[in-house]
Amino acid sequence: MSAEHTHEHQHETLAHDGDGAVHVHIASTRFYIGIFAALICLTVATVKVSYYDFGQANIIIAILIATMKASLVAAFFMHLRHDSLFNTLSFIAAFLFLGIFILLTNDDLGVRQHDREGYVQHISQSTGQEAPGGEPATSATVDDVAGEAPRGGAGHEKKE
Amino acid sequence: MANVSEPVHSAAGAGGAGHDDHAHPSFLQHHFDTPAQQFYASKLGMWVFIATEILMFGGLFCAYAIWRGLDPDIFDQAHHFLNKIMGASNTIVLLFSSLTAALAVRSAQVGKRNLTSFYLVVTILCACIFLVIKYFEYSHKFHLGLLPGHCFGHPGLSQAIQNGEEVGTCLRVHADSAPVMPEWVRAVDEEGHVTVLPPRANMFFGLYFVMTGLHGLHVLIGMSILIWVLYKNVKGTFSPAYFTPVDLGALYWHLVDLVWIYLFPLLYLVGKPE
Repeated sequence: MSAEHTHEHQHETLAHDGDGAVHVHIASTRFYIGIFAALICLTVATVKVSYYDFGQANIIIAILIATMKASLVAAFFMHLRHDSLFNTLSFIAAFLFLGIFILLTNDDLGVRQHDREGYVQHISQSTGQEAPGGEPATSATVDDVAGEAPRGGAGHEKKE
Repeated sequence: MANVSEPVHSAAGAGGAGHDDHAHPSFLQHHFDTPAQQFYASKLGMWVFIATEILMFGGLFCAYAIWRGLDPDIFDQAHHFLNKIMGASNTIVLLFSSLTAALAVRSAQVGKRNLTSFYLVVTILCACIFLVIKYFEYSHKFHLGLLPGHCFGHPGLSQAIQNGEEVGTCLRVHADSAPVMPEWVRAVDEEGHVTVLPPRANMFFGLYFVMTGLHGLHVLIGMSILIWVLYKNVKGTFSPAYFTPVDLGALYWHLVDLVWIYLFPLLYLVGKPE
């Protein structure tokens, strides 16, 4: 790594080069092939691992390996390793907001227990047509709230 | 990681442009001061676009997370109907195409125009192979009636399409008749097991088709972009001083690869092995 760094300082700088021409770090063909080999190894690993049951950990292992592969692709094939830090931040921010999106949606689902049961029970046995969201959310919310402390929200005000 | 760096000073001697470079290269747009400024502005734009693409797929990944959380058993049972071998082959094809896309950029950076063309052609061919494998997977599922929404489990669907019936009508008629489940659920999955899928397994196949379908659309768009880059490259537009479109086209292609890196395990591999 240290040898690589010295090269970088000489040739790969973003703004400090005075001549205004494009200077980029260029990795060797062999290096790219090495990254490809690592990606193939991880792919084989993730397929092999899928034949064993680790219970809940299955999905965690799968996502971990996928993230390792994605990091290799982003860092080297997509040049983020030698690119402007701001590009990396833009990229990572997308995942951050995706995480917030999934967490908040999941949190919302926690107060819709009733809908979930409705989804499983009310579905048409022959076609599955009554699938998700068939139940109007209000009918479930009113029942849910009946036993709980009143929550804020326009729908519950008339009950009080 | 003892990677061999090969830094090349790419500013000078851009295709014989000589000192024109510094005065006003033809590729430099008027609102940029220097080629470097133009290059990094383009890159930033591309990365912001990639972020929006991730968030677009993010909606589907969120749906996946929610439905999987609600009904993990269905995902378990249904995912055995996907062919791991075909999925893994497609993963390897895409990873290889990512390698060739990266090498195309590298060739453009060092000014080897023919080599860039060669790598771009290989990348585009890999995209074709990916789509062919996808076609076989999709047609297999159509055949079994493993379809999204209310088309799910309809045994006569492919027949109905062949007979030229209007599918919507056909399904509605079918919905009124006796349960169709026993006729089709005895479909044999990819590992030779007979699995019984309840109607709500349509959610898994809905996610499968929408996620891989949107990804497939990106493969098509990526191919078009790379074909355009190839055309420009053959015309001699690019040089070590100006290879931005090759770089950005490859970035788009890597994004297609990135999405598949997550789709493959989430759809094909996650679940209890039999």
